[in-house]
Amino acid sequence: MRSQQRRRSGAVGVLAAAATLALMTACAGGPAAEEEAPDEPLQFFLSGDANQGGGFAHMAELYEEETGVEVEIVDIANEDLPTKLKNAAQANDLPALARVGGIDPVWKDLTVDLASVTEGSDIRTDLAAVDEDGKVLSVPTDITAVGLFINKTLFDQAGVAYPTSPDDIWTWDEYVAAVKQVQANTGATYGMVMDRSSHRLKAFLYEFGSDYFQPDEDGQFETNGATKEALEYFASLNDDSFMPRSVWLSDGDPNGLFKSGDVVAYMSGSWQIADFAVNIADFEWESVRMPKQPVRSTNYGNAANIVVFEGSGQEDAALAFVEWLYEPENYRELAETSGFLPVIDGLEVTYSSNAEDFELYNEEIAASDPIAAKIKKNDLAYEVLGVTTEGDPVRDETVKYLNGEQDVDTTIQNILDQLSDQLGALP
Amino acid sequence: MKTFRAAPSTIILWVLAALYLFPTAWFLLSSLKPGSELFSLPLTILPRDWTVAGFVTAWNRFDFQQYFINTTVVAVVTTALTVIVSAMTGYAFAKYTSWWLRGFFICILATTMLPTEVIMPSSFAVVRDLGLYDTLAGIIVPSIITATGIFMFRQYFSTIPDELMEAARIDGVGEFRLFLKIMLPLAKPIAVVLAIFSFQWRWNDYIWPLLILRDPERYTLQVALRSIVGADNIDWSVLLAASVISLVPMVVLFAIFQRQILSADINSGLKD
Repeated sequence: MRSQQRRRSGAVGVLAAAATLALMTACAGGPAAEEEAPDEPLQFFLSGDANQGGGFAHMAELYEEETGVEVEIVDIANEDLPTKLKNAAQANDLPALARVGGIDPVWKDLTVDLASVTEGSDIRTDLAAVDEDGKVLSVPTDITAVGLFINKTLFDQAGVAYPTSPDDIWTWDEYVAAVKQVQANTGATYGMVMDRSSHRLKAFLYEFGSDYFQPDEDGQFETNGATKEALEYFASLNDDSFMPRSVWLSDGDPNGLFKSGDVVAYMSGSWQIADFAVNIADFEWESVRMPKQPVRSTNYGNAANIVVFEGSGQEDAALAFVEWLYEPENYRELAETSGFLPVIDGLEVTYSSNAEDFELYNEEIAASDPIAAKIKKNDLAYEVLGVTTEGDPVRDETVKYLNGEQDVDTTIQNILDQLSDQLGALP
Repeated sequence: MKTFRAAPSTIILWVLAALYLFPTAWFLLSSLKPGSELFSLPLTILPRDWTVAGFVTAWNRFDFQQYFINTTVVAVVTTALTVIVSAMTGYAFAKYTSWWLRGFFICILATTMLPTEVIMPSSFAVVRDLGLYDTLAGIIVPSIITATGIFMFRQYFSTIPDELMEAARIDGVGEFRLFLKIMLPLAKPIAVVLAIFSFQWRWNDYIWPLLILRDPERYTLQVALRSIVGADNIDWSVLLAASVISLVPMVVLFAIFQRQILSADINSGLKD
């Protein structure tokens, strides 16, 4: 009975395959990949521009008015941007330029030297990625810094004072006592939230006098005694009454918690100002100076950097755009539109709203302990070398400590071991 | 008496329905709240200030039309090809015997053993070398073959008696006409079910389009929506509104094919 079917199966198989192939080729012919030509718009990959006031889109418009060169802003989710660029590099299809969080080893060697942008300017090259031959791989677009927000309404309601001038900055002990006082007087559920990030934890550690984690000449990482003290202090704050454990242990949303009005203070950073200005209406909030114990420091850095890619056929046009963008009057326009802390030293920026908040951040950066700059320099050096850590050992080990999986000494040792292992010595 | 006995189960079903409705209702109503109200305590179901500002911003910021077109092209073309290819392959597996068909069937089944994510780097290399990077075809072609669809058709065709085919052959019907005119119409319920699922999978597909598409002109809806999530902030009101807009076509589709979708109870354990 089956023999008949077997005989015919070959013909049907061939027919089916032919039909499928025909259909596939038919649809593959649709949107063909085009060759990038110099007169096409410069593609500029970035993340979060629209959320931050659309500064780059605005500058792209101005640039087109002035020069006729079109810059196409492509806004991509922050977490996806590295993936996108990695894949584009592998497919030899990188955009003309991008604003990135860090240098990726995959396309590190495909960047154009930006020395012509930084030379003769007051751009903070200590935040730029420069390799040992002096090639400038990336230029920072803006500075972000860690800072403290308080729910002013709760503080006023509780009748508790907070520092308003650089002369009366509180210590962490005083700050915690004040926030607990506010909690007791107002019934706020939590005293404080802090983003689950080693970037924020760095500022906390610096303020306790920690040297953070630094390599010796052989690439073995070490730290000082203050790190342990700070981590123990941090763990004691995560008690589900002062700080909710959910934020660090299970990725709860600190931004949402603070916006609820039920949390007294939020340790986050300058990028929240624009969001809070629009999306908090039920209470008054204020940026205040961070506590010191006894060191005064924030953690600041190049949140994002511009790179120009090799191989797009539009390198010169892209470079010209970047040079134009960093001319002081153009950069000022960008900083004012997007609410950036400027990367050009001494540049006067007039913010249309929340000027006092931005001023406070600039003061915190200027008053920061040298450790912040030192660690930033190390981070950039590793980036230029092309070495990265797997995940974030400092954050991940701290989370384990907070969860009671290991004690503080093991935590510090694990961090040191992983950093020594994965990063090694500085050149 | 009858109504009385049905009462407890009716109540339970209503409670369940309400439980399912609750997050959806909250989502829809939240999209009509201003950003300052989303997190403020006490949380309320109904917005205190009704606003469509999020929708206006979302509509102006995103080229929804372009994204809808792209996503529709991908979903429709992939679905059509998936159904045709799955029907043919499933039919061959069910009704023809040969050593290589059996081997091929095992190969197809083996593709379900590996999670899609595991083979992504190699799939990416293949698609790139075929010159399909940054084209819609690059997301369509790899999605056509689905073991689930083939298996569904194979199982279904196996239940159709061979006598039917033999009768047709005796009447002088060729193999191709036999498949197209007799077997395929019989398998219509399976085809509809697979089409619905395939459309839904492709509409909601995120990770593969993210890897393949570079040019914003070719972004699908899901990839475009993600760009609202910034480095440290999420513009919730815009994200909520844009998500609601992106849901509309699926809801319309559901309204049209409601009967078929509800009877598609083979959903459990399927893998796209």
